[in-house]
Amino acid sequence: MTQDEHKEGIGGMFNPTRYGIERVAYWLMRLSGLGLLAYFIAHIYETSNILRGQVGWDEMMQMTQTLEGHIILAIVIGMCVFHTVNGVRVMLGYGGIGVGKPARPDYPYEPASQNYRHKIGIYSSIVLAAAAMMYGLAVMFGE
Amino acid sequence: MKIHYGTAIAAVALVAVHILMRLTQGFAESLEFESVLANYKFVPYAVMLELILILLSVHGFNGLRVILLELKQGRIYEKAVSYGCVVAMIGLIAYGSRTIIMTNMGMV
Repeated sequence: MTQDEHKEGIGGMFNPTRYGIERVAYWLMRLSGLGLLAYFIAHIYETSNILRGQVGWDEMMQMTQTLEGHIILAIVIGMCVFHTVNGVRVMLGYGGIGVGKPARPDYPYEPASQNYRHKIGIYSSIVLAAAAMMYGLAVMFGE
Repeated sequence: MKIHYGTAIAAVALVAVHILMRLTQGFAESLEFESVLANYKFVPYAVMLELILILLSVHGFNGLRVILLELKQGRIYEKAVSYGCVVAMIGLIAYGSRTIIMTNMGMV
């Protein structure tokens, strides 16, 4: 393998035109997972402020119930919905559901598991995440 | 993977209830001090919060462990990542449980 074949580097790993929507889903799953873990830790800290009494709680709410806070929460909603729906797709695939039947590998050797069912699952999770973000924004800003 | 998938399925159901509780009242109203305090003092809800805390901590830190083990391998590195994630998970559960227990017992 020559040096030129590596020229895209990490950017090449993200390139969805080379590896398809499955690679996009792989990255989104990990990024949303890390984002949700960060939010979860922050949420545990945020809610612990109730032990400081009404004043402490109200101070924390003033910090989080802002425009930026609502935008971050909308992103968290999107990450949560994508992670959940795509996670269900991954679990079904792990259980052998929707991955196709075993068959003789023939040219052009397309993987049976990367079929239209799972592609629809990935696109659905992205659309549902966007819809949930819109709903979340409507709830948060609709008051 | 069984732990990861099991905690995921259980957490989805419980987190759905947790979010729906925010929507039964107005969003801002549900976050008022008295409302949140009442939630914590309602024992079944406090138990559900504790379950969510444990399930998401196990799921989250196990997921982080898997991502870190995908990036790099090695005997010492893998042990450090696994033990580090377990310690962080226990720490987060302990800190979150402290909030739930103290609020439920009226120590606010």
